[in-house]
Amino acid sequence: MISGYLITILIIIVIYAMLAHSLNIITGHAGQISLGHAAFFGIGAYTSAMLYTEAGFPFWISIPLAAVVAGIVGALLGIPCLRVRDDFLAITTMGINFVVEAIFLYIPFFGGAMGIGGINLPKWFGREMTKPEYFILILVVFFFLLLLDRRMGHSWIGLAWASIREDEQAAGAMGVDVVRFKVLAFILGSAIAGLAGGFYAHFLTFIMPQNFGFGQSIVVLSMVVFGGIGTRWGPIVGAIILGILPEVSRPIMEYRTLIYGVLLLGMMRFQPGGLLGSGSILSRTLQRLSITYGSKGESR
Amino acid sequence: MILLEVKSLSKEFGGLRALEGVSFNAKEGEILGIIGPNGAGKTTLFNLISGIYPSSAGEINFQGKSILRMKAHQISCLGIGRTFQIVRPFQNLDVETNVLVAFGHRFYPSLWKSTGPFRQPGIIKEVQTLIERGGLGPYAKQIAKNLPLGFKKRLEIARALALNPRLLLLDEPSAGLRFEESAQLMELIRQVRDQGIGVLLIEHNMQVVMDLCKRIVVLDHGSKIAEGSPEEIRSNPLVIQAYLGKEA
Amino acid sequence: MLWQQLANGIAIGSVYALISLGLTMVYGILRILHVAHAGIYALGAYVGLLSFRLVGNFWLSLVVGMAGAAVAGYVVERFLYTPLLHLPRIAPLIVSIGLFTAMEEAFRIVAGPHTLAYNARVGLGDLSIGGFHLTETQILILFVTFAVLIFLWAFLTKTRTGLAMRACAQDPETTSSFGVNVSRIIAINFLIGSAMAGAAGVLIGVYDNQVWPTMGSIPAYKALAIVVLGGLGNIPGTVLASIVVGLAETFFIGVLAIPFPRDAVAFVAMILVLMFKPYGLLGKA
Repeated sequence: MISGYLITILIIIVIYAMLAHSLNIITGHAGQISLGHAAFFGIGAYTSAMLYTEAGFPFWISIPLAAVVAGIVGALLGIPCLRVRDDFLAITTMGINFVVEAIFLYIPFFGGAMGIGGINLPKWFGREMTKPEYFILILVVFFFLLLLDRRMGHSWIGLAWASIREDEQAAGAMGVDVVRFKVLAFILGSAIAGLAGGFYAHFLTFIMPQNFGFGQSIVVLSMVVFGGIGTRWGPIVGAIILGILPEVSRPIMEYRTLIYGVLLLGMMRFQPGGLLGSGSILSRTLQRLSITYGSKGESR
Repeated sequence: MILLEVKSLSKEFGGLRALEGVSFNAKEGEILGIIGPNGAGKTTLFNLISGIYPSSAGEINFQGKSILRMKAHQISCLGIGRTFQIVRPFQNLDVETNVLVAFGHRFYPSLWKSTGPFRQPGIIKEVQTLIERGGLGPYAKQIAKNLPLGFKKRLEIARALALNPRLLLLDEPSAGLRFEESAQLMELIRQVRDQGIGVLLIEHNMQVVMDLCKRIVVLDHGSKIAEGSPEEIRSNPLVIQAYLGKEA
Repeated sequence: MLWQQLANGIAIGSVYALISLGLTMVYGILRILHVAHAGIYALGAYVGLLSFRLVGNFWLSLVVGMAGAAVAGYVVERFLYTPLLHLPRIAPLIVSIGLFTAMEEAFRIVAGPHTLAYNARVGLGDLSIGGFHLTETQILILFVTFAVLIFLWAFLTKTRTGLAMRACAQDPETTSSFGVNVSRIIAINFLIGSAMAGAAGVLIGVYDNQVWPTMGSIPAYKALAIVVLGGLGNIPGTVLASIVVGLAETFFIGVLAIPFPRDAVAFVAMILVLMFKPYGLLGKA
């Protein structure tokens, strides 16, 4: 049997991968930096938790609603913020994170510092899901999210996003409504983060405001930056590596936050494209390898 | 037929008057030259027309409608395309994709339509035609940043043409080009004009301007100081003064 | 009672001004959101405390704290920001965030996670006039801030370097074509701004009698909110916004007793002002 510990790690990693992927939509596609992404993670988690514990909604309804609520909040906050200057979004998202965390912490309705407990794994076929089954469930959902992402990449929306990332002003001159597409990315990213939050709540079975503060936003940002902003697989690879490392190495776990900070610092300073970004040591090595081994007869 | 009416257009940046009371018209099927010493406000004029900056005062009417308060993307969808003084294609996208971005202007306004895939055979066909006409046929899959300057300029024009514009704003297209490249680009611009598209051409290369334009507007220090045929402009004392004054 | 709250609010606002000015100056000249500035603020407090423990003199610890912060600011600018200026602005911002996170952890690891006491005394004693009471540290805060602001004003308006700095903030390219060594100006900018943050760190450390690793977290985002509120890069605007936030916090919580997280006031104020003045209280496009 697969150990319970391993399954727990795997589930957490998939949730982080989903989170990192959702931040990548905002940062990578729309070229916007969100420093408070954990806020939407938290909004999704609390929505799902409260619908389940207070209103008796089943998991299968509370989860999609978590995504919807997070998306709506993303729209409400994103629209005014994105209309103003770029830098404002960074600050505003940071502030949003603090405010949302404060709301969860201080307003008794949300359970205060003790958070919310008693959130169970979903039921199906008349019994509660096992952890391995939950793992398969969120893996499947994540797979569909990636398919959706691929589909969007091939659509006019994806093209608009690519042009915004390249050169906002030129994109505007070519008919792209830059603000609208940025807001779209923000809403989508927030909604998926909310979805991840819902999965997180039902898995952990209890949630606290501290789980969704600025520190958590840094963790997610590190995964995206480490793996490569804007690349398809970068954030996922980042989530896997940064998710596993603290589990297998005690010292890394101890100094986790320091490592995240140094990672952000170091990556951006020396390898801004991330692990999988173009021009990174890894991708150049892979390129060289594929030239030697991949193409038949055309190598050097 | 008058495409563009600019009336008493002014622009202030902080305390700096970049443009002051500029008025002129642009017609379809005509290349109107915009010349003047450095800092005269030519690119600012383009930025105001294309909606990148808001104007401080005056009117801009395109095909009879005021575009003064419109955003850049709305203006480009209406039919005004432009290139930039320092060439800026979408560097990491290939030529075809660059043109496709502008082509998408028919889909972007509708969220639903925007979810459709952009690699459709019909669309690719039209884009390829545009690319061929720009002389970029063999380079369709080349990444923009790897293209030599002359081809980047062609790409910018092809991209702007994908907007199906009635008016094209070209900002110093021949800058940095060798003589033959410049001549080829001029030929391309003539073809655009022959299709009935109106062209506003900012240029420093006097040869090019005198060759291509039947009418020229001269700006200096933000104001229009002369307008007329190339011969009239060449012999206009104010114009000569403006250029000489700068050199002195 | 009202005067008391007013005094409290202005005292707090003054410290906010000390922190936020450095931030707005960096933004004005480099267009970077220097989040790590709050880490430099905390560093000032730690360095000041260390020197206070060694020497026992408040003024000396203030100066050393400022110096330490200034040096740190210079290093950050030289080795982290300037090499990245050619990249999109997201890059130095992320570097700054990473640095800030790492700094807070470093404080925790090196100095311990606990709150340390910084009970410096100058021997002034408190001031009491009628029902109006200013503690010694509040007097110090007002005095130091006032002195720093006067210095800054004089520097920016009366000296050539200060003038060059203001010109750089407007238009670095034109300024350098006038023969101004822009990179030197940037360095001085960071030195001054960081020294001010260091001073704020020492002052708050003494005021609260507390120095702890994450003391920079709230000021980090609060200073950003203040800077946006006042108009990014706008120095008088930042001072105004700092006082406004200091007063708002004191009044809303102290006087009106609204059960609202005190630290969220700055953020809410920023959002409210941005809705009507998108470039801040005194900012221009």
